[in-house]
Amino acid sequence: MAIGNDKEFKAALAGLPIAKQRQVASRFAQRVFDLSNDVRVKAALEVAGRAEISDAELTVVSAAANTARVESYTQCGKETDWGAQAGLFVAKAAVACVGTPAPGGNLAWDAAMQARMARTCQTVADGSGTENREAEEQYRILDAFLNQ
Amino acid sequence: MNEMQFLTWVRGTGLNIAVSIFLLGVLWRLVEIYSLGRKKDLSAPRSVAGASGWNTMFRRSVPPKGMGMVKKSPVSYIGGYVFHIGLALIVFLFAPHIKLIESLTGLSWPGLPSQVIDLVSVITIGAMLVVLADRINKPVKRYLSTFEDWFTWLVTFLPVLTGWMAVQHLLLPYTTMLALHILSVELLLIVLPFTKLFHAFTLWGSRYYNGAVNGHKGVAV
Amino acid sequence: MSATLEKGIRVLKEVIDAPIASYFNSCVHCGLCAEACLFYTETGDPKYTPIHKLEPLRRVYEQEYTLLGRLAKAVGLAKPVTDAELHEWQELVYNSCTLCGRCSVVCPVGNDIVYMVRKLREGMSASGNAPDGIKGAVNRTVTIGSPMGVKLPAVKAQMKHVEDDYGIPIPLDAEGAEYMVMLSSMEIINFPEYLGAIAKIMHQAGKTWTLCSTAFEATNAGMQIGNSDLARLIVSRIVDGAERLKVKTVISPECGHAYTALRWEGANLIGRPFTFQVKHIIEVLGEFQKAGLLKTEGFETDRLTFHDPCQLARRGGVIQQQRDLMNQVSKNFVEMPDAGFINWCCGGGGGASAIEEGEELRLEAFKKKKSQLDAVKPDRLVTACANCRIVLEEGLEHYQMNIPVVGLTEMIAEHIPEKGA
Repeated sequence: MAIGNDKEFKAALAGLPIAKQRQVASRFAQRVFDLSNDVRVKAALEVAGRAEISDAELTVVSAAANTARVESYTQCGKETDWGAQAGLFVAKAAVACVGTPAPGGNLAWDAAMQARMARTCQTVADGSGTENREAEEQYRILDAFLNQ
Repeated sequence: MNEMQFLTWVRGTGLNIAVSIFLLGVLWRLVEIYSLGRKKDLSAPRSVAGASGWNTMFRRSVPPKGMGMVKKSPVSYIGGYVFHIGLALIVFLFAPHIKLIESLTGLSWPGLPSQVIDLVSVITIGAMLVVLADRINKPVKRYLSTFEDWFTWLVTFLPVLTGWMAVQHLLLPYTTMLALHILSVELLLIVLPFTKLFHAFTLWGSRYYNGAVNGHKGVAV
Repeated sequence: MSATLEKGIRVLKEVIDAPIASYFNSCVHCGLCAEACLFYTETGDPKYTPIHKLEPLRRVYEQEYTLLGRLAKAVGLAKPVTDAELHEWQELVYNSCTLCGRCSVVCPVGNDIVYMVRKLREGMSASGNAPDGIKGAVNRTVTIGSPMGVKLPAVKAQMKHVEDDYGIPIPLDAEGAEYMVMLSSMEIINFPEYLGAIAKIMHQAGKTWTLCSTAFEATNAGMQIGNSDLARLIVSRIVDGAERLKVKTVISPECGHAYTALRWEGANLIGRPFTFQVKHIIEVLGEFQKAGLLKTEGFETDRLTFHDPCQLARRGGVIQQQRDLMNQVSKNFVEMPDAGFINWCCGGGGGASAIEEGEELRLEAFKKKKSQLDAVKPDRLVTACANCRIVLEEGLEHYQMNIPVVGLTEMIAEHIPEKGA
């Protein structure tokens, strides 16, 4: 049964063990990675995509991804470059992928939301309007992941 | 002019001139400052007990709660309290001063024993010297200080010093010392309205405005 | 005198009032204001003494409004205020002052120093001596409508994103709604979760609300640079929107200076009282809490502390509500030293964070906030101002402190049960 809406999407993600959540989350983030191209983000997504990760590795990439995130905020009063701003949300997605999951939280869902926001920034930047198909793409990714 | 003539002059003409300049000066400066007025605040006010101009007028006489300010600048607070209170005690509770005020206004009240005033004077002189040293030593005070700061310190210090010296019969004959004391007071009176010493009158208004603006927002400062 | 310096001096003459005159005449050079200012305490440089930042204004006052000063000027004994001096003062008036207001709280003679800095900025701006970073924000506000160049399509994109993610519609231009919600550029750009949080909270509280297509931007660059005309323009847009939509209350977002500009300066800028109320989102949440409209589940268990944004607490009078809200969703909320209305500034408000040349100074000033955090050792830091959040995160990152920063409204919303649950 293919995932068709956010309720199903969120529930399916929540049911996955953390390691699997990280893997599928990294796929969501990979889809928007070209909006960032930050090496620290890349490293974080690579680690998150693997089946076996050590805690030490997670700590290292987590810190680096966080730095990337903090560096990509647009300062109050500065001119917004929506293209660059997408990079913030890609970094946030990466941080979610390799971060410590909060009790009762949904790590993969957080990453998915940030990835969608990155896409939204891109559509604002190129003026293509508010419609983007990122959510549907994410459902497809999750379906493929669950069925592999 | 011999010392008796000098004393007579400072007690008479000198005092008249100084007090006139002082009174006219104070009046003029109060008008000069407060006639500028201020715009009414059209934003909707909050009403919080203890947050108002009147509250701040008096509350600001003590350091703000919980900010560790006294520890950061102890001489400012402790030295400041000691010499201000000392000045007030000397000016208003020393018998010869009360007699002077009686001759000018008709009002009088009991004074403190002269030995007490003597002790207060010494403490006040000490405090003023410490306050001066602090102004020289503390980077911020030194940085801010101009000629006016040193001058007003001197103009405030001399009356206390010369008055004490006169009572102690130190250095010069009493008549001369007394005349110098009165002259130093006249100098203080003349410059007070036109220097930072005028804070004696304006701090009430300043505290009030500050307290009112913050009280309007419901913050008790 | 160049044309702009003339304009600057004229503006300074116009802003001087009895309070300012009283303040300048009361200052006894005690230096206590410096001890309250984080730019002095963390650098030890006396030039950052708050009252010193006002020197050009003081001389204009003296030379224009005092008899002795005018006499001195007439005989050529007064030191005139020059363009070069105002340029030199730019660092003091903008980079090293966030309008945090601590100085005004400690001055023993009662001087409201922050009030005077705000006024001096009017002259600095009119004479062309405001920092480039803020000038850009001002230009964008005039031409685009938002200091960060955020236009309605971007807002609509965020709205759609939030609607999809949270499943709650975001009303736009809904006439007769009780609340008109403002956003700051910072939320639209950096923290879109804020809008979702609002939606969740309003939905649960059963309150009607709306965004306004002609007045979604709360950030008031005019107030930061010191340009009352621009500040008025921004406020007028908001007033027109609020009156057009006939809302009862306009909600100012988690942005410090937006609240100060709208709530306290707004009516004075447009010259008449507002016909609607203005409340900070934290005030509104506080009211919902008291009315039992904020039903939350669960608690944060990690050690949390709260950073009071200057414009909310000390300068805004919203001090207790954030604490009551923290206690509703946290089992382990501890106050940092100097919490509440005497809290220390993050170092980036009042336009300071937009000034690139001031970054080094800001990071040095951040040592004060660092010392507060070192004392309380929280797991996470909560605050209620989007700019504070970023400034804090940058400071924490710089000093390698692993303390995530979260927004209070978002944290509250996370504890609201899911729709239909």
